[in-house]
Amino acid sequence: MSDFAWCIPLFPLLASLLLTMGARRYSDGVASLIASCAVFISAAISIGVLMETLNTVVPTVHHWRWLSFGDQSITVGAEVNQLNALMLVIVSLVSFLVHRYARGYMAGDRRMATFYAYLSLFTFSMLGLVISPNLLQLYVFWELVGVCSFLLIGFWFYKPEAKRAARKAFILTRIGDVGLFIAVILTFWQVGSFEWEAIFAAISANKIPPEMITLIALLIFVGAVGKSGQFPLHSWLPDAMEGPTPVSALIHAATMVAAGAYLVARAFPIFAASDVALGTVAYVGAFTAIFAATIGLVQNDIKRILAWSTVSQLGYMMLALGSSGYVAGIFHLTTHASFKALLFLAAGAIITMLHHEQDIRRMGGLWKSQRRIGWLFLIGCLAITGIPPFSGFFSKEEILTAAWLSGRVDLFLVGVVTAFLTALYIFRLFFLVFMGEERGKIAPSQIPRVMIWPMVLLTIPAIGAGFLAWIPAHGFSDWLTKGTGILAAPQGEAPGWIPLLTLLLSLAGVGVAWLRYGRGAVTIPSQSQSVTGIHHLLSRAYFVDDLYRWGIGKPYRWLSILLSWVDQQIISGIVSGVGALFQAGGRIGSRMQNGQAQTYALVSLLGLVIVIVGLTAGRWFG
Amino acid sequence: MWLSGMLFSPLIGVVVLLCLPRKRGQLHRVMGLFGTLPPLLLAFYIAFQYNIQQGGIQFREHLPWFSIPLGQGQSWEFAYQLGVDGLSLSLIIMTVIITALAAIASFVIKKREKGYFLLFLLLEVGVLGVFCARNLFLFFIFFEITLVTMFFLVGIWGQVNRERAANQFLLYNGVGSALMLLGFIGIQSLFQTMDMDQLLGIMSNQQMMLALAHNEMAQRVLMGSFVCIVLAFAIKLPIFPFHTWMVKVHTEAPPAVVMIHSGILLKMGAYGLIRFGVELFPAQVKEIAFILAILGLINLLVGAVLAFKQTELRRILAYSSVSHMGIILFGIASLNLSGLTGAVFQTVSHGFISALLFFYIGRLYERTRTTDITELGGLAAPMPVMTGILLIGGLALLGLPGMSGFISEFLAFLGLFHTQPTIAVIGTMGLVFAAVYTLRAVLTIGYGPTEPRWQKLTDARWTELIPMLTMVGGILLIGIWPAVLGDPIQSTLTQIVARIGG
Repeated sequence: MSDFAWCIPLFPLLASLLLTMGARRYSDGVASLIASCAVFISAAISIGVLMETLNTVVPTVHHWRWLSFGDQSITVGAEVNQLNALMLVIVSLVSFLVHRYARGYMAGDRRMATFYAYLSLFTFSMLGLVISPNLLQLYVFWELVGVCSFLLIGFWFYKPEAKRAARKAFILTRIGDVGLFIAVILTFWQVGSFEWEAIFAAISANKIPPEMITLIALLIFVGAVGKSGQFPLHSWLPDAMEGPTPVSALIHAATMVAAGAYLVARAFPIFAASDVALGTVAYVGAFTAIFAATIGLVQNDIKRILAWSTVSQLGYMMLALGSSGYVAGIFHLTTHASFKALLFLAAGAIITMLHHEQDIRRMGGLWKSQRRIGWLFLIGCLAITGIPPFSGFFSKEEILTAAWLSGRVDLFLVGVVTAFLTALYIFRLFFLVFMGEERGKIAPSQIPRVMIWPMVLLTIPAIGAGFLAWIPAHGFSDWLTKGTGILAAPQGEAPGWIPLLTLLLSLAGVGVAWLRYGRGAVTIPSQSQSVTGIHHLLSRAYFVDDLYRWGIGKPYRWLSILLSWVDQQIISGIVSGVGALFQAGGRIGSRMQNGQAQTYALVSLLGLVIVIVGLTAGRWFG
Repeated sequence: MWLSGMLFSPLIGVVVLLCLPRKRGQLHRVMGLFGTLPPLLLAFYIAFQYNIQQGGIQFREHLPWFSIPLGQGQSWEFAYQLGVDGLSLSLIIMTVIITALAAIASFVIKKREKGYFLLFLLLEVGVLGVFCARNLFLFFIFFEITLVTMFFLVGIWGQVNRERAANQFLLYNGVGSALMLLGFIGIQSLFQTMDMDQLLGIMSNQQMMLALAHNEMAQRVLMGSFVCIVLAFAIKLPIFPFHTWMVKVHTEAPPAVVMIHSGILLKMGAYGLIRFGVELFPAQVKEIAFILAILGLINLLVGAVLAFKQTELRRILAYSSVSHMGIILFGIASLNLSGLTGAVFQTVSHGFISALLFFYIGRLYERTRTTDITELGGLAAPMPVMTGILLIGGLALLGLPGMSGFISEFLAFLGLFHTQPTIAVIGTMGLVFAAVYTLRAVLTIGYGPTEPRWQKLTDARWTELIPMLTMVGGILLIGIWPAVLGDPIQSTLTQIVARIGG
């Protein structure tokens, strides 16, 4: 099966091409069917590949020559190892479910085929990213997923907000990508190859100077920061919620934004060789986790709350990886993919039900009428909060253990506080939407079945994925690290009180949320009431966007105005002056309309004079 | 004789056009298009016959032409010498494809069609000659043909300020060719030949160069010639601050002519820099590598910042061309194989990308009568396919992987990081700047709410779609399978790098 891993991404690509070429010819149903079938095939093969890696640990690599210069040959190919196989399954499965769900969510949109074409193209790129055997190919697909994300955020192109959000996403992630771009090039000149294998071999053979390893690792991390919405390149991700909700679920929660965490995991031997790099990853991750969680406390748009939550949870993954908790990071990536996708899809269902109402202040009391969606959403909330036996509990507990064992108590404390905040903001959301009286003016409509069953399927991993940690004798972490030479987790004995503490804090968070928002009697601050101080700071997301606007955006514009003035007035001005002189003498231009022959003669004459002068001048040197 | 045949085959169209009656506009247009087909077919035939394994100059032609007696039995011999290698062949293929598509774009020309297509085909002869010539004097003649024909194409068929643009074009390029001629004559006087192959032999001959090193006058002439030649091609490329003429031509010339101007003619500057700068003067180029890198950096960043300020789509693309020529300079300045490969990739890639975008501009202008982005908006609603093409062109412009622009940027930066890492690091800002100005243009035109006056625009017809998809195909082919261009140019570039010596 692994021999055919290279064709996993090709099915969605084919579907995307088919849909692009005949966008207007397909009915909605057919378009959805083509795309879903392609992803289904990919998912089936991916599962087969994953099954194989359970027994064999030798990575399978395929290469084809792509471009040569001199004796250097760059290749493309496909590599299957445990991490890649796991990612293949996550990506293709979530993608398949989202494909089906979108059939209901996007019903009635005239550009259904285009939507599916983009969605398939994204799936292709993401699958291509995770099977890349070398850094350059990874970069290629890295950019492609970025562009698909851009296209899908801006899918409703006529909305000015969508346009702005798409541009912002592209530019902020591109700033991160430049870091990765430089890292790719530096690696090549250090190692002489883009292949992961060669890079890791060079590192374990101490062929690269330590400062250079740190530099490369940090630059790779810059790329991950952009893609995974880590501080300070995070602000595009909440805005990306302008895209259709299935896109938010697939790209901006479950898969693409997790690519940053995947990249750090994939390049883990490079990070592991540099303490500075690991520390940076851990601190940036922890800071982002708590930073985003506080912002999530005060947002009112259901999707934006989930987006800030995603930023925060990705911070957790980075915290794990930076604390040498390799398995913990990947574990959280896996569980997060399932419960966050579930939360987004459920949010999408609520939005559909309420005819595209996204403000939670105008929801409420949905538990009575929408018990089914309520349960689905609740499962997602419990999973992200980390209430056992839901999956988030297990992965979060491993992350905090890794942070504790890595000896950075400050980071551990940040992680614990964030766990409390997570419970608070997610249950604030839950209670405001489902409890209390109905504040909305519109009667909820029914949800089509095609949107329900993908969510039902997602509850299985959202509840059950945590038990991967309970496979006897560290089965999961042994499998993931076998043959890679990576330590599964920092050495040491995990204190037993950590899970208990996390659980208590999470419950406390739920409790506070209940006291404040749960009983339905609480009045919600409306916009007319003045919000000041901390609340204002949080709701404006610490003014990071304003800082960018005034710190970078405006100065760049001023620079362009200044340079433009220099270009127009000074550089062109001089030329125009000289040109006017010529024109006055020759009056070439006026002749052009009526006297072609004369002008031509003049031009030729000029040329001839130059030739003769040149030739005679040449004799002086002869 | 295949090369001569290919090179002069546009003249078939010229002769037929001359025989046609004056008033039949449509006939002239069709004939103009047919006139570009013989070189297209012959160029592809030659490309398939070219032996990549063997490499080097093939299809040589050599005829004595005239001589200037100098007295004492001595004389200067001039010869008609042609030949192509992988480098020139790649540019020839690009030229014949873009010219044929530009002929289709020229169907909107509604005034003095006969003269237009006569000049158009003569221009093609000039360009093909530039890429085929193996003799400096012959190269100069063909270069002048492109100047004169272009001068009239801009000056007669351009927009309102066409005459100013044409004059500025002539002014700059006249100075450029004078410098070039001066440089060539310097070479002639030193080595008594303008034969490229002989010159290459002389310049890599150690004893000969040592003998020269003791002659101060000769040294000065050699360096002077080199500087003249570099300056001449710097104006053509163009290198900042010699770009004013090129922005004017971008804005004033008819879009079909800009396809050729931006797609092909600017590339003669890049070709000249590589062929006569780097290949002929390896030792001297080494000395100015740092300056070239700095100039590349200025082009790259200043061009991108200026592109951000413009509101006229043509000017945005003009400054974007300035910025992209910076990548070519980066590639050349790195003086290693990956860098030079990147420079050649950028030459071909940018040819297709800017031709595609100016084809789009031509079609857009036919519909809206404006290409000012502040007046446009939301065009994706009435014209999804056209806007899709614009989007693809824009993504190619900002160097999205999977498209040709990425390969060239990546290789050029890869090369420069090895030799001038500091400049390269600063240069990577250009990647972000490119995204900023490209997205600004593409999103402003395509996205957002649609004004009522644009709601009735018609989407692309098949006759427009096929040329555009051809160029998209070229962009994707190079982006996905770069070896298709990388393999043919390798032997030439390897030799050039060997001459530089590492």
